[in-house]
Amino acid sequence: MRARTDRRKIVEALNGYLFISPWLIIFIIFSLISLGYAVYLSFTEYNLLRPPRWWGLEGYQRVLEDELFLAKALPNTFKYVLIVVPIQTFLSLVLAFAMDQNLRFQRFFRTIFYLPSVTSSVVISLIFIWIFAPQGIFNQITGLTVNWLDDPRTAFYVIMGMNIFTTSGTLMLIFLTGLQDIPLAVYEAAEIDGANGIQKFFYITIPMLRPVIFFVVTVGVIGCFQVFDQIYVMTAGGPLDSTTTITYLIYKWAFRDTRIQMGQASALAVILTLIILAVTLLQRKVIEGSGSGTER
Amino acid sequence: MNRLIKLLLVLTVLALGLSACGQTTTQQTQPTPQTVRETVTVRETVVVPAEKITVRLSGWASSPAETALLESLLYKFSVENPDILVKYEPITGDYKQVLLTSIASGTEPDIFYVDIFWWLELAANNALLPLDDLMATSGVSRDDFIPALIDAFTYEGKTYGIPKDFNTLGMFYNKALFDKAGLAYPTDDWTWDDLRAAAEKLTDLSDPNRPVYGFCTPPDPGRFPVFVFQNGGMVMKDDYSDTMLDSEAAVKAAEFYTSFRTAKIGALPSDLGEGWQGTLFGKGQCAMVYEGGWLIPYLRDQFPNTQYGVVMPPAGPGGEGNLIFTVAWGISANTKNPDAAWKVVNFLTSEASQKTVLESGFALPSRKSLQNSDYLKNNPNSAAIFNGSFFGARPFFWGAVGSDVNDQMAKALERIFKENQPVPDAMKQAADSIRKALR
Repeated sequence: MRARTDRRKIVEALNGYLFISPWLIIFIIFSLISLGYAVYLSFTEYNLLRPPRWWGLEGYQRVLEDELFLAKALPNTFKYVLIVVPIQTFLSLVLAFAMDQNLRFQRFFRTIFYLPSVTSSVVISLIFIWIFAPQGIFNQITGLTVNWLDDPRTAFYVIMGMNIFTTSGTLMLIFLTGLQDIPLAVYEAAEIDGANGIQKFFYITIPMLRPVIFFVVTVGVIGCFQVFDQIYVMTAGGPLDSTTTITYLIYKWAFRDTRIQMGQASALAVILTLIILAVTLLQRKVIEGSGSGTER
Repeated sequence: MNRLIKLLLVLTVLALGLSACGQTTTQQTQPTPQTVRETVTVRETVVVPAEKITVRLSGWASSPAETALLESLLYKFSVENPDILVKYEPITGDYKQVLLTSIASGTEPDIFYVDIFWWLELAANNALLPLDDLMATSGVSRDDFIPALIDAFTYEGKTYGIPKDFNTLGMFYNKALFDKAGLAYPTDDWTWDDLRAAAEKLTDLSDPNRPVYGFCTPPDPGRFPVFVFQNGGMVMKDDYSDTMLDSEAAVKAAEFYTSFRTAKIGALPSDLGEGWQGTLFGKGQCAMVYEGGWLIPYLRDQFPNTQYGVVMPPAGPGGEGNLIFTVAWGISANTKNPDAAWKVVNFLTSEASQKTVLESGFALPSRKSLQNSDYLKNNPNSAAIFNGSFFGARPFFWGAVGSDVNDQMAKALERIFKENQPVPDAMKQAADSIRKALR
């Protein structure tokens, strides 16, 4: 009897695997094996032309001693996350809240706000290059003469602004579904107790949205740590390394430099993964620790 | 029972998959008559040796016209060599990245462009085939090529690439702006003082929406070294073991180069909202620029009304100086058909092919025998760029850490231009960073 149920379980499991096999095979080949190989490469010296040579921790040591990484890429990346994530989270929450009211042309506005998210980031980058060119629309409207993308003081902020502009739409949509999940009965009960609009927002909406906020912040943080294509298209890490982030540095070491340093680049990629993992865990602690209702 | 249903489900899925495959095969068998017709054409050309050797050839595609030119040469080759099929696979986007990953995965083309700036990395790692034996079989000698060019692709006494063409920098000047300022056109005898005096007179900032600057000074490592050479300096030591960017000659050159913008008689292309000074020259907003022969077809297409001339860059206190940009055809060390690949390379770098390229105006021939061609006699602008190779010109190559050297030169200039860093400090900082990379 026991043996029969065991066998049944095995067959059931096999059936399950059979059904997910198309996805599983692709995942194993293109994600898991590549990921494992990248970890292996991070312990080697590899220039693409000769087979990888075991290097131990030398690559990691070189990364941690690299001036460009310590002085530019690392602080730039954190600066990017710390500025972009709060603004885009707040902005998309406000947008979602506005879209949740009974406005006229609600669908029209939803589409408009979501549009940047479905447009290719390279295309949006090109549009922003034109807008912020010295003789571009932005300078013409404001009467300024700043060369936004060629000035080390401003270039990074233009890229940040662009990222907020493109991602807020998606995050708004996520917040919107979260808002619509909140039962109306809770609001009604609050109204009977005499709560005003602001109180309802801060004591009902925000706490009820906590799991959604955690999701949005996590996705935002991970996305910001990995920012690459906009920088590649708009500034190529310049002017004067002011927009060099960790991912751009990985690309530079792996492909752009005359001397290819695939091992060192892989080591930095592993380090970036660890950073993201640590930050996400920390975030979970903070958001979970601040209240209940995160079971999801 | 449950199991049976599941089994049935799985079977249905499989059957669906199979029937889907079956459908596609039946669809494919429908146009059978066409296949028959194709076999007939094969029979017609049965005179041709049956086994065609296929060689794959890659390069970057810089412009549609240049691609068309290469394709026409390859067509000519296919007519003359029916036994070799050349598959042209241009790489758009990041050429070096695509090439290196294809070498790493063993799928690289048989023949590909190698740029002077990074070819040595390939040769030193045995990714390129030494060509000397193949050259000997077809009677091609190193002496047929301009020495500076063939030497640039030589490593440990072996030739690893046949230079397909080259460019140097010429000083392009806008004739209308010179006429307007009442200045005589520049000559090959000009010096730095003449350049500066002319830039002062040519600058016209009266229209804030369309300022005209005398001279454009991009923070470009492909322009600035000319001034270092002209001041008797060097970017790297002869054996590339150390940089000389913090030497007095280089610092003084940087001071001169950056002084144009400080004195508001020069500008960076980005100041005027362009990525490339060629566009600004065409628009008449930069009266003088240092560019290569690639600017000639660009102006012909985009700014056909701009009247201009080209002379050699004005000499500095240390004499003449120039940069040589060149690209060679290299053959993969892993090619299965080295002889066929060599035939293609030999054809593309032959005198006849190079003459076609020269007459299109894209680049200058690497063969000595074309130095006195009629085309150069009738086109003084191209001749100025060709002759640049004889006056203090050095290859655009800085050794194993070349990209670091380029980055640091660009950054030093940007710091001077945008952060007003004192020139000696900027050059010292660049040199220190390069030395760190060299270690």
